[in-house]
Amino acid sequence: MAKVTIYSTPTCVYCKMAKEFFAKNNIAYEEHDVASDMKAREDMMAKSHQLGVPVIDIDNNIVIGFDQKTIEGLLGLGKAAAPAA
Amino acid sequence: MYDLIIIGGGPGGVAAGVYAARKKMKTALVTDTFGGQSLVSNDIQNWIGTKSISGFDLAKSLEEHLRAQAGIDIIDGDLALAVAKRDDGTFGVTTKNGRTLETKYILLASGSRRKRLGVPGEDQFDGKGVVFCTTCDAPLFGGKTVAVVGGGNSALEGVEDLLMYASKIYLLVRSEVLRGDPVTQEKVKGDPKVEIIWNAVVEEIKGGAFVNGIKYKDVKSGESKDLALDGVFVEIGLLPNSDLVKDLVALDAFGKVVVDHKTQQTSCPGIWAAGDVSDVLYDQNNISVGDSVKAVLNAYDKIKKG
Repeated sequence: MAKVTIYSTPTCVYCKMAKEFFAKNNIAYEEHDVASDMKAREDMMAKSHQLGVPVIDIDNNIVIGFDQKTIEGLLGLGKAAAPAA
Repeated sequence: MYDLIIIGGGPGGVAAGVYAARKKMKTALVTDTFGGQSLVSNDIQNWIGTKSISGFDLAKSLEEHLRAQAGIDIIDGDLALAVAKRDDGTFGVTTKNGRTLETKYILLASGSRRKRLGVPGEDQFDGKGVVFCTTCDAPLFGGKTVAVVGGGNSALEGVEDLLMYASKIYLLVRSEVLRGDPVTQEKVKGDPKVEIIWNAVVEEIKGGAFVNGIKYKDVKSGESKDLALDGVFVEIGLLPNSDLVKDLVALDAFGKVVVDHKTQQTSCPGIWAAGDVSDVLYDQNNISVGDSVKAVLNAYDKIKKG
């Protein structure tokens, strides 16, 4: 199973959406609150070169923002939406 | 062939979806996410019937209400990109995920998006100190020096969000007046952390791996000045999401879709618009809801008449 880590802040709605998405798909994840955890913030910035949340790490693949399609791809969930007939 | 395609999942789009479903119109609603621009609000206190609700919970309650309706096709996680008018008067809507949907009528409730500064460094440092979601990222600027750009409500609320984290907040205002609610103005003006710089137009955002400064022009003296800082919060207002119909309907000078305010009809028969994308005078969730309902009822009248 993929190792999933999310870097978040308590006020970030896209982080909440990502966590709900993981819960719905039974994906276990580790969460770091980068508002209060300085070490985690440094890790996040070093990994992603980003100062914005969410940053999601899926087996060392860094996803910036709640990019559902990319996350689904990395986790092998679902299929890309097929064009309607 | 749908009777109606609703574009947008904010309060307006969802209200339209509920009404259209209850009228048994064959309807699809296309949206990337629910909740509209309020999604990122921490606390909404003027959504009628609810004393206080977060944008996230508002979005969930809207989605839940829509999904409780029978017979409406909800196409979420996708985005309407273009609308084409066909010779027989019907429309084709194409989406980001490659769908093409056919419909008799369209309600555009696509809202608006944040305006960007359009200066060097803004794209380069997006997510590296340039922030477009203040509520999301303000907590990352604890003990830092930041600038908020703008003079309206969203800029003032941005400053408010930052007060508990940043050590110094410059508010860069293009003119010599603040717009926005007097209560918030007073709070912002009265805080010793906040320094308002008037007549300031941002020219460049600078940095290395992350933002480390900003260059602005004092438009009164004509002088360019530098500020050393760690974050730039861009809160300069909104642009209507009207691009997808710009060749079909009349727009005003701000790019908003011109509507008949009695019916929400646009200049193109078969297309209605409501909410922030329309030339409504006040951009408000509660108004978007009412205007969207108006549009659906008007479209329903047309269908009944054939």
